[in-house]
Amino acid sequence: MTSTEVVFVVLSAVGSIGAFRLVTSKNVVHAALYLVLTLSMVGAAYLVLAAGFLAWVQVLIYVGAIVVLLLFSLMLTKAPIGREALDNQQRGWAALVGAGVLAGLVFLIQNAFGSAPRIQIQPATTSEVGASVFANFVLPFEVVSVLLLAALVGAVVIARRDERP
Amino acid sequence: MGPLAQAVAPSHMPIVLRPLLPELILVGTALALMLLDALRPTPDQRPFVLLSLAGVAGAAAATLSLWTWKGPGSVLGGMIAADRFAVYFRLVILAAAALGILLSSYYLDRAGEARGEYYPLLLFATAGMTLITAASDLILIFLALEILSLSLYLLTGFSFRRLASAEASMKYFLLGAFSSAFFLYGIAFAYGATGTTNLAGIATALASRVNGDALALIAVGLLAVGFSFKIAAVPFHMWTPDAYQGAPTCVTAFMSAGTKVAAFGAFLRVFGVAFLPLAHDWRAFMGVLAAISIIVGSVLAIAQTDIKRLLAYSSIAQAGFILVGLSAGTQAGIQSAMFYLAVYAGTVLGAFAVVAIASVRGEEHTALSSYAGLARRRPLLGLALTAFLLSLAGIPPMAGFIAKVSVFSAAVQAGSWPLVLIAVLASVAAAFFYIRVIVLMYMQDPAPEIEGVRIESDPAGWAAVLAPAFLTVVFGILPGLLFGLLRTASVVRF
Repeated sequence: MTSTEVVFVVLSAVGSIGAFRLVTSKNVVHAALYLVLTLSMVGAAYLVLAAGFLAWVQVLIYVGAIVVLLLFSLMLTKAPIGREALDNQQRGWAALVGAGVLAGLVFLIQNAFGSAPRIQIQPATTSEVGASVFANFVLPFEVVSVLLLAALVGAVVIARRDERP
Repeated sequence: MGPLAQAVAPSHMPIVLRPLLPELILVGTALALMLLDALRPTPDQRPFVLLSLAGVAGAAAATLSLWTWKGPGSVLGGMIAADRFAVYFRLVILAAAALGILLSSYYLDRAGEARGEYYPLLLFATAGMTLITAASDLILIFLALEILSLSLYLLTGFSFRRLASAEASMKYFLLGAFSSAFFLYGIAFAYGATGTTNLAGIATALASRVNGDALALIAVGLLAVGFSFKIAAVPFHMWTPDAYQGAPTCVTAFMSAGTKVAAFGAFLRVFGVAFLPLAHDWRAFMGVLAAISIIVGSVLAIAQTDIKRLLAYSSIAQAGFILVGLSAGTQAGIQSAMFYLAVYAGTVLGAFAVVAIASVRGEEHTALSSYAGLARRRPLLGLALTAFLLSLAGIPPMAGFIAKVSVFSAAVQAGSWPLVLIAVLASVAAAFFYIRVIVLMYMQDPAPEIEGVRIESDPAGWAAVLAPAFLTVVFGILPGLLFGLLRTASVVRF
């Protein structure tokens, strides 16, 4: 086993433990923190696989934005954080769906990259991704800023309830 | 060539911004309006109205100059199409925006809901609408769709003190977000099937195949669902009556015209260019959507007792008639759908403008019973609403008649006469509820509690009613004016 493989296995093992604790944890905040662990391990696995851009996007968006949003909404909605009311008695269905997704992914990955690979992987460095974004996709990139600006104005409209004459 | 291949060798194309000038002017005006509101807060809304109108006029001038564009068919890396198709749709949308601004100034004055963010949001929505009709890449279409939707969710809920407005906004937002997910999933499948999100690239990739594959068909289905939400076709119409009724009437007028024109513009471009090689697969699907939209929209409209809801269901049925043109899958079909859209935009905007004026203040008197004797109280208003309703019903000499005839003849030429038969029967039934309102206005006495209410209007309000009424009659008598333009504008370049 090469050193890269060892690192990959360790990251996967830690990520899987995090994922397992995520669904078994009785405390919602702990579950959210285990989610951080799992998502960070996935990001680190991307880094090991030389997909640097993807790794940082994973950290920025999933760990930085989505989990923080989750924690904020837990805080703002005053949802029960303790041990009660966390189990919705749907374990059978959840296990079925989880097993189905796992089987589908194993089949697809085996089919695409197994003994007779059907897909050629073209590794792209961060600088290549950046060059593409700012050369071929520069217009959508700029249009996103208009979208965000409209959303910002909208947030002000909704949040500001004072009336001017 | 997928983006990864492009990433390895980025093409250093020249930046040609002129085909994007209308959107730049609109967004620039919106920014100027926000600055003006922040630096010189004033209760007087007239500067905002005038500046917004100037922005829309500037964008229209920039659009007109593109009619004679001699440059490449698409610019900015194939993102923006510089064709007359986009010019035509932009002009219709900008006209709707100008009338919407005029009506808004009238409405917000009376309702006392004028706030500085209104006109920037309206211009953002307009920019999204014009951008989507010129976008020739699925990613850009998605972003433009989001800009226009987001702005419209906010405008729908702008009268937040009215519960109905907030509720309408919430419903529109939730269902709109749902439809965006469909659309995005469709883009993912289209990319998976063809390796590109560029419309021309998708068409090339699909044309070189003998059999349509499953991935491309799933993409077609998901994208059609996403568009159907925006054009309010049955069974994706649930949000329409509530959003149209709950929104401030000036917003309803603008969005019922603008959203449908913009979404249909992109719909025609995506299906008439990118997925044209699969036309024999999606034509039947469009035909079914068209038929059930026409039937459900017409039948449910009969049961309505509120004029805004009645017009909402009518607009669902109208989406069905426009889909009849699209389902033909031919040049004549696209041309007739484009004519129908311009006529529909003017008619529905004018009808909602009459509703806004007859409501006197905000959202009062929108029940159908309030329209009893309207023609006797305000003859000109009654006459204008009669013209709009006759046009929606498709009765000559109004433009709606020519529009219906042209989509039907395009569909018959394409061989889908069962669909045309259903559509003709439904439009005969639909004429009932339009005529009922006209009878109410002319033949009945006003209710005692409505008798004393004085309906007044200002020049802005009258402009929003009379300009569409004039066009509805003119295009009904001289449809050649518009069809002359459409001969070249219905050809999609990329």
